[in-house]
Amino acid sequence: MSPRVVAGASAVLPGTTSRDLAPVYDAVIIGAGLMGLGLAYELAQRGFGRLAVVDSAYPGSGASGRNGEMIRSAFASSEWIGLFDDSLRRWHTLSAELDFNVLFTKAGYLLLASTEDAFLAAASNLELQRSFGLNVELLDAAAVRELCPEMAPEMIVGGTVQSDAGFAHHDATVWAYARAAAVRGVEIHAYTTVTGIGVDGGGVTSVSTTRGEISTRVVVDAAGGQARDVALLAGVHVPVEVYRLEAMVTEPLEPFVRPAVSSPAIMGYCHQTTRGELVGGTEPDVPRPSDSIKATLDGARDMAVKFVRLFPRLAGVRMMRHWSGVVTQTADVAPILCEAPGCKGFYLDCGWVYGFVGAPAAGALMAELITTGSAPPTLAPFGIERFATGKLIRETSLVVAPGAGYGA
Amino acid sequence: MTKTMLCLCRDVSVEDVTRAVSQGYGDMETLKRFTGAFTGPCQGKTCLDSIRRLVAELTGRSVDDVPAPPGRPPVSPLRLGTLGAREEP
Repeated sequence: MSPRVVAGASAVLPGTTSRDLAPVYDAVIIGAGLMGLGLAYELAQRGFGRLAVVDSAYPGSGASGRNGEMIRSAFASSEWIGLFDDSLRRWHTLSAELDFNVLFTKAGYLLLASTEDAFLAAASNLELQRSFGLNVELLDAAAVRELCPEMAPEMIVGGTVQSDAGFAHHDATVWAYARAAAVRGVEIHAYTTVTGIGVDGGGVTSVSTTRGEISTRVVVDAAGGQARDVALLAGVHVPVEVYRLEAMVTEPLEPFVRPAVSSPAIMGYCHQTTRGELVGGTEPDVPRPSDSIKATLDGARDMAVKFVRLFPRLAGVRMMRHWSGVVTQTADVAPILCEAPGCKGFYLDCGWVYGFVGAPAAGALMAELITTGSAPPTLAPFGIERFATGKLIRETSLVVAPGAGYGA
Repeated sequence: MTKTMLCLCRDVSVEDVTRAVSQGYGDMETLKRFTGAFTGPCQGKTCLDSIRRLVAELTGRSVDDVPAPPGRPPVSPLRLGTLGAREEP
């Protein structure tokens, strides 16, 4: 053993613990991504008791560290705007609240319209968005060209810009929540895999893990790409499909695009980080069911072709790195946020596609649900029963390929 | 004050890695994201072995117990115009 071993060397991340699991917790949260950590922080704020977050890998190893980092609340439905604008307001003060810089950058978010139809749709959403007090503006082609001088003119018909939206650093956000939760007593157990969930008398009673058994009356499924499998351990069916998405980062460049940009025409989104790299991803026209996190050549070529189409100068810029991640997508692409019917104490926080932006609100609202027993109005539309009743949420401004065969 | 550089792409020194591991970034995956090592143009080809060895020393593990983060394509940075070019008919 080297004499150089430093204190703290056994941690996986500041905030994780290497202690053994306790035999009893007041709540066990499965998944140390933004959903799980954010919820743990909010429950601890409310003095919920002894809390554990368990993850089969390191915190943020799933979609929380693989997403496009973009933040907006200017959607087209009152359900989405309600939830995500609650989140946007939390993003504005998150670094101060968590005492850690998550590099939230209020650079604006442009939803680009490349056809007349897309422009008219953007215009038709404005009234609803403004009724929620969103800072949105409809831009004509000249205004978009001025905002993004490097964008290919033939891609521009107009767009909606939300001036106080933007992007943040996804890893820093994971670290910020992990630290803030740990400071408030939450135990974060990395590399701890859940192998079973005990259910008795219509409610959860225990969680089995590779590092021991836990008694608990509250279990939260915030397991991201593995949420469906985790729910099945409790006998709960979650109607989601698992899809692989891919993203890339270029070599660093001088600043050339300020806002986050989303383009339904190329099914893509990107932003330039504070480090100068362009980070973004594109989606295939038909989603690819896969739980693999291997990147594909087809995915790399799709991004290369489409981003060069959007920003021609990128033809001469190198892709440094390319990766993939998975999302769990529901039939209406909205998340599932509720207590599981018929399984008391088993809560679902999954089915996210816009999870990065939604996490701060989801954590607070789910904590309200768990501590008070009733869902706040902004959370209520996202119950799982909508898939049985057919009352799906209609949201038309997403840059996501609709899937098929949900819950099959 | 002298510095010993490890990652030339991202300016990560022995001192930076030591500080990060002391703070709790003792897992190669979190260390990578916190320091930026392995995320520059060389993608770790220059510094991966040295940093693994240092992390092994700082955490009292053998180098074999310090797994390297999975490599990401492309092996060498590639121009988007080249990557997206259509094949000749």
